[in-house]
Amino acid sequence: MITIVDYGMGNLGSGFNMFKKIGVSSRITSDLEEIKSAKKLLLPGVGSFDKAMEKINTSGIKEVLDQKVLVEETPILGICLGMQLLTNSSEEGTEKGLGYINASGKKFIFNDNKMKVPHMGWNTVKKATPSLLTQDFEEESRFYFVHSYYVEVENQENSILKTTYGLEFDSAIQHKNVYGAQFHPEKSHKFGMKLFENFAKI
Amino acid sequence: MLQTRIIPCLLLKDESLVKTVNFKKPAYIGDPVNTARIFNELEVDELVLLDISATNNNRKPDFKILAELANECFMPLAYGGGINNFEDAKKIFKIGIEKIIINSVTFTNPSLITQLSEHFGNQAIVVSIDVKKNMFGKYQVYSNSGTKKQKVDPVAWAQKLEQLGTGEILLTAIHQEGTWNGFDIDLLEKVSNAVNIPVIANGGAASINNIVKAVKQGCASAVCLGSMVVYQNKGMGVLVNFPNKTDLDNALNNNIKNI
Amino acid sequence: MAKLNIINRRPYINSDSKICATCIYDENVPAIEFDENGICNYCKMIDNLKDQYHTGTPEGVEEFLKIVEQIKKDGKGKKYDCVVGVSGGTDSSYMIIKAIEWGLRPLAVHYDNTWNTAIATENIRKILSKLNVDLFTHVTDNKEADDIFKSFFLANVPEIDGSTDIALAETLYRAASKFKVKYILEGHSFMTEGVSPLSSAYVDGAYIKNLHKMFGKLRMKTFPNMNFMSFMKWIIVKRIKKIRPLWYIPYSKEGAQAMLEKEYGWKYYGGHHLENRMTAFNHSVYFPQKFGIDQRNNSLSASVRAGIMTKEEAINEYNSDPLVEDELVSYFKKRLEISDEKYALVMNGDRKTYRDYPTYKKRFERLRPLFFILAKAHLVPMSFYIKYTSKTEI
Repeated sequence: MITIVDYGMGNLGSGFNMFKKIGVSSRITSDLEEIKSAKKLLLPGVGSFDKAMEKINTSGIKEVLDQKVLVEETPILGICLGMQLLTNSSEEGTEKGLGYINASGKKFIFNDNKMKVPHMGWNTVKKATPSLLTQDFEEESRFYFVHSYYVEVENQENSILKTTYGLEFDSAIQHKNVYGAQFHPEKSHKFGMKLFENFAKI
Repeated sequence: MLQTRIIPCLLLKDESLVKTVNFKKPAYIGDPVNTARIFNELEVDELVLLDISATNNNRKPDFKILAELANECFMPLAYGGGINNFEDAKKIFKIGIEKIIINSVTFTNPSLITQLSEHFGNQAIVVSIDVKKNMFGKYQVYSNSGTKKQKVDPVAWAQKLEQLGTGEILLTAIHQEGTWNGFDIDLLEKVSNAVNIPVIANGGAASINNIVKAVKQGCASAVCLGSMVVYQNKGMGVLVNFPNKTDLDNALNNNIKNI
Repeated sequence: MAKLNIINRRPYINSDSKICATCIYDENVPAIEFDENGICNYCKMIDNLKDQYHTGTPEGVEEFLKIVEQIKKDGKGKKYDCVVGVSGGTDSSYMIIKAIEWGLRPLAVHYDNTWNTAIATENIRKILSKLNVDLFTHVTDNKEADDIFKSFFLANVPEIDGSTDIALAETLYRAASKFKVKYILEGHSFMTEGVSPLSSAYVDGAYIKNLHKMFGKLRMKTFPNMNFMSFMKWIIVKRIKKIRPLWYIPYSKEGAQAMLEKEYGWKYYGGHHLENRMTAFNHSVYFPQKFGIDQRNNSLSASVRAGIMTKEEAINEYNSDPLVEDELVSYFKKRLEISDEKYALVMNGDRKTYRDYPTYKKRFERLRPLFFILAKAHLVPMSFYIKYTSKTEI
């Protein structure tokens, strides 16, 4: 059972639907008790960094997550903005991130007019550090990305997938029980389903 | 590398899918949810759904159909048609639609763009620019499904929209739409080069060659297909289909000689 | 909650059942009769058709090739010489490939009832693009199509997908007429599909019109119904003929499917007619659960007659549950806007037939001699003559 954390921002239904499609049960909740009892967590996110952190900080979810992730070592997967929230900070805002992975968000800045921001569309991933999350991925796996800020890890061993868009950035990260995917698995057809399947098995 | 998005563009009119020519003469194509389901099974990159009668009939978006669509599709969905306030936009995002597409309201209430983009992120806000070419070859922008002329130049308007916080532009050449005569490359190029945000080419696609031209010459970041994905061929019967992925990849990655 | 349970009335063949000597139709099949050797009248009907058409013999092939020559002759100077209905299924896909092989210039015609699966549309696309054949489609407004389906459901009759059959027939005629084509090729095969009892497979334009009038809500604007005058126009005035090649030439479904898969990348969808969700609902859920009819006995009996299966194998398969796509029933209910309660009410309720509603049946019966002549002239299928114009039910 995957617990999808509803802190007020994010495409919750799509994640739920994809889990359902692959036969994995999940629930969407903002209830602190239910989050406390979760076996596995999914942290979605669409929108701005500061707004998201504000909601997480003021709702009591931050404390519950700290307990679950840092103490109980519950597996957690952050998606898109959700992955950025798992890091220390982002150039997008002034709030501090959850700090579960040593990394930070940077803005895509290009001089070339042809390199549009946000990075939007389907792009390929390259495996870096092996991980249970990316096990048995197809050769040419591709995912749907839509973001204006990218994440850079401090230690390369935390980078499990890399993607190139003008520069090479970390499209998926991991530190122990904490996982993050910059792209949207729930919008990436069979490739996303494979990732969700892997996460469900962890 | 980032792949060019090739996106089926479906038109919704009173709960049925239709296809128009120059925004006129809607012809029946089929059931919207079943058709979207087929595109999902074909694993297309993204889907655009436009309700072409909502604004002019003063109707709200059909949230029921949108919820069903969001249920069926494992790729990003963009919806436009009849969105003119914050609450409706919020409702649509909550349903699971990735992006909203607005047009007519950008003339009557342009600050809505900024409001939406600040709250949901600019990548979720697409503004549709519908353009007609008059008999003197001048480009004119229209709203309300091609019925209301607006006194703006497409390039200047695109730049203004970017400033207001638009994340993406859906550029439709009304004079090409449904004709199988190819995109308006001139128009595309002018607008794409004037802004830093992605521009999606729409209207007139007939072949993979057209798609390549829109990307390489027109500098489009993405391409919408209409007639091509709902008819077997020009003048032929309805048949939901999508160009072969390998053919597309090959064409876009290697320049085709006879563009 | 108990009210929502559907009583599954699907039929089984057990050791007590009286079964035909040469197929697996049992005593529960409507209008069945067994002769002194235990052979049923449906087998006899098929034998008669086989004799008439010399099915699968060199004579049959020769006769058919004569028809092909005639089609070519009558088609000279026209863009197409025949019209072939395609659905993405085995028979029609095979048919259009053979038409090209025989040197004909077909127009493919598809009637879209808006419930197609991706497999169906992809199969159509793959085959037509490889053969370079043009496609003519008629799509009915999805809300109208649904309104008609719902009317049949609320009327408690078996032919929930009957409107698709009539619409396809009408679309084929309209396409033929538009391009001045005189021949429609149909992929029906009594050898592989058998003959269905009329009481569960009756369709005509009046039946549709009247059920829709009684139970429907929207006006019929885009649905191509075929009323009697239309029917007469197509066959007597326009003299458009219906040819069923698989009634003459040898045909193996397995062989056809293997060829289609290998050479065209065609995909099988798991069962007869399951390429369309309404047909799938009809065959896998509606028929067995509400009417206690499992039409798999048609094709299974055909396989037994052809010696492809033993009776035991056929009975075992018949007794196993039909393949039902996930969420098919919930899709059906959602799309037709039928509540769980209403669904259970209808599914557990009365069984009505075409005889309970106004149709053209009596008229067909009165015109029996005329239809005999029309059948001999290929203007209506012989099976239509046998089933629709007979006073005794078959």
